[in-house]
Amino acid sequence: MPGLIIDDIPVEVPAGTTVIEAARSVGIWIPHFCYHPALGSVGACRLCAVKLLDGPVKGIQMSCMLPVQEGMVVSTTDAEAQAMRRNVIEWLMINHPHDCPVCDEGGECTLQDYTIAGGHGLRRYDGKKRTYHNQELGPHIQHEMNRCIHCYRCVRFYQEQAGGTDFGVMGSGARVYFGRFKEGALDSPFSGNLVDVCPTGVFTDKTSRFRARYWDYDMAPSLCPGCSLGCNITPVARYRELLKIKARRNDGVNGWFICDRGRFGGREVNDPARPRAPRVDGVDVPWDQALDTFVLRLGELLATHGAGSLALVGSPRLPLEGQLLLARLAEIVSPGNVCWFTTAGEARGVLAALETLPPEGVASLADVRGAGCVVILGVDLLAEAPMMALAVRQAWRNGAKVYVMGISEWTFGSFLGISVTPVSSLDEVPPAERVKPVLIGNSRDLPSARVDEKLWGGARVALLQSGPNAVGAALLSVDHDGASLEELLASGRIKGVVAVEADIPGSWLAGIPFVAALDWRQTETVAVAQLLLPTTSWLEMDGTFINYEGRAQRFLKVMNPGIPLRGLDPTLHPPRIHRSVPPGGDLRPAWRLLAHLVERLGGRSPESPFTGRWERLRDLHPEGEGIMVYTHGSDSSEGGG
Amino acid sequence: MIPDSLRKELAARVREAITPREAAVDIMKELQRHSGWLTDEGVEVAAELLGLSPLQVEELATFYEMIYRRPVGKQVIHLCDSISCWCMGGERIMEQLREKLGVEPGGTTTDGRFTLIPCACLGNCGEGPTMMVGDTLHGRLTPEEVNDILCAA
Ligand code: SF4
Ligand code: SF4
Repeated sequence: MPGLIIDDIPVEVPAGTTVIEAARSVGIWIPHFCYHPALGSVGACRLCAVKLLDGPVKGIQMSCMLPVQEGMVVSTTDAEAQAMRRNVIEWLMINHPHDCPVCDEGGECTLQDYTIAGGHGLRRYDGKKRTYHNQELGPHIQHEMNRCIHCYRCVRFYQEQAGGTDFGVMGSGARVYFGRFKEGALDSPFSGNLVDVCPTGVFTDKTSRFRARYWDYDMAPSLCPGCSLGCNITPVARYRELLKIKARRNDGVNGWFICDRGRFGGREVNDPARPRAPRVDGVDVPWDQALDTFVLRLGELLATHGAGSLALVGSPRLPLEGQLLLARLAEIVSPGNVCWFTTAGEARGVLAALETLPPEGVASLADVRGAGCVVILGVDLLAEAPMMALAVRQAWRNGAKVYVMGISEWTFGSFLGISVTPVSSLDEVPPAERVKPVLIGNSRDLPSARVDEKLWGGARVALLQSGPNAVGAALLSVDHDGASLEELLASGRIKGVVAVEADIPGSWLAGIPFVAALDWRQTETVAVAQLLLPTTSWLEMDGTFINYEGRAQRFLKVMNPGIPLRGLDPTLHPPRIHRSVPPGGDLRPAWRLLAHLVERLGGRSPESPFTGRWERLRDLHPEGEGIMVYTHGSDSSEGGG
Repeated sequence: MIPDSLRKELAARVREAITPREAAVDIMKELQRHSGWLTDEGVEVAAELLGLSPLQVEELATFYEMIYRRPVGKQVIHLCDSISCWCMGGERIMEQLREKLGVEPGGTTTDGRFTLIPCACLGNCGEGPTMMVGDTLHGRLTPEEVNDILCAA
């Protein structure tokens, strides 16, 4: 490990580390535009200048291009280095349109920050500015090329990371243009990351255009509920409306990026018509009345039909807190009749997944990125878990061989710009190529995707699940002998169903006399329920999801619940009556409602949903790597902090 | 319209190349020879022949000064606009051409005969000032020679 000195601080970092990263490791931030930890160094912007005062290299150097060497003495504060950075900023601003007031990047713009940091305030250049025509790039991304500083981050992301071929850089010299051959929507399912990687306002999120400024945002670390990968996100809200979603870095999971489904989806939280008030037999009622009715009707049902007549149903999208409280409620009112899956097949798959995992364990997205050989077992990753596909592409870029079984290698490979080899069975993968192998499948297809451990010793496996918290659902199913609703209904005993954020087909519930739904979505189940208790969405509460690897991650409340100001009936605003909650905002997290019902029905509700073996999740930090709650052969191993 | 015969001929050239990408410039030049400039259709045809996306061809096409992505006159004049030629009076030649042709750099004469393009550079630095008319390179230019060359072109 070479040792060097940066601003009088001795630093030791692994060989190959660049000076910019070495400085970052001791808390010294060197300004930069083109360098990006996930995209690498290109030395294009010239902003990260430092001066080497002593050692094997001397003078002004670009810190992103310079690998550390023993004995280097680096100064970031040297007058010459500072002057260079100041001049680079001034020069990059020569063509800038100075349109910050109408630019969505304003307030969260690296170019703005560094211009101010560099002290550039007075324009000295009085030549003409370079200007461009913008392109219409589809519904998600706004293009404003005049703001470009030619750092090449966008094209490096789009082509190198994501394998896109419809967006790139054209022209040469000072005239380079970042765009498409012809106008039109960007093809890549990862296009939204352009917004995050561009250090200025060339690419901004069109879906939230002109809606808010950085200092107005409601933001918190959160998780994408789009699939079972558990990508980390930062949702941005204002006035109870989700405006946009940004990727949040987590090196063990999604790295720096997210997919477009995660970024541009999830907008049903803004629907003014989602369940907003408790409802009994189609009529909105106050909370007290709804809860009283719930307790009363439940009592009647159990008195008439007996304890085995009530099914309590959770789901793989229900946060862990709700899943745990559902189990507790079941212990009191209907032991043995709780489940977290709707169909039997789904339950079998997810449970089999927990048993099938090889001792070497589950492949995290980081493991996939670092794999030497990847076999995809019949899953369309681009449709089911796009960030897994992006991870496979990174493995391929690092030299991994990619095999696919049971899917069109053409669609998969060409879309990601990688070469893949189709095989019809695992045996066809040459043993010599099984280096650091990772198998990727879907729990739905188990046990057909079961792996011969002797042949594939050392392989890690990634099995996609049916929802953001399917592993939580599976672990509880094991603990509580939970089957699936399908199986419970087949017994013919069920006369009542309590569905907690569960998607049950309306036809299944047709003959059931008592149906109660706790949900924040307007689902088929909600439509047929006689009793509705509206819950907060995952953006309006703290909670926990366990992703496909068994990694428990915490998300925090982003915004207050309530009808977004934007969707509000003008007669309701400003409010004419005094109220402590905004219209449509009197919603409660499902787990709190369940805790309340536990108490009403004679149990003791815990202070925290996390008791017993779950206790260690109480203080789970939303910005760490999460806690692994499940690995093969034990369910208590601790993952990274 | 790019005729089928040309497409076939170009496809054969792509097959001869070790990787399709290395045939790209060649293919673009042929399509340019056919249409006078590389048309949008030409970019798309090249992309198809090379197994690239139109954008990938466009990236190459717009990088090279001698691939024209807009209509040009019958003869294109590239006048070197870089330091060695400046030292030898290249800027005066530019003035002369502007005046004589009545166009600004980048423009095409009204009769469609010439397009004037400054470029950096023609790799003929020892022989500055330099210009290229069509495919012919002219060095050590004097104002008289420029007149003669234009008349002959
Ligand atoms: S568009 Fe943005 S990311 Fe791309 S080169 Fe310009 S400034 Fe950099
Ligand atoms: S891959 Fe899945 S979890 Fe990640 S951003 Fe996309 S939908 Fe969300």
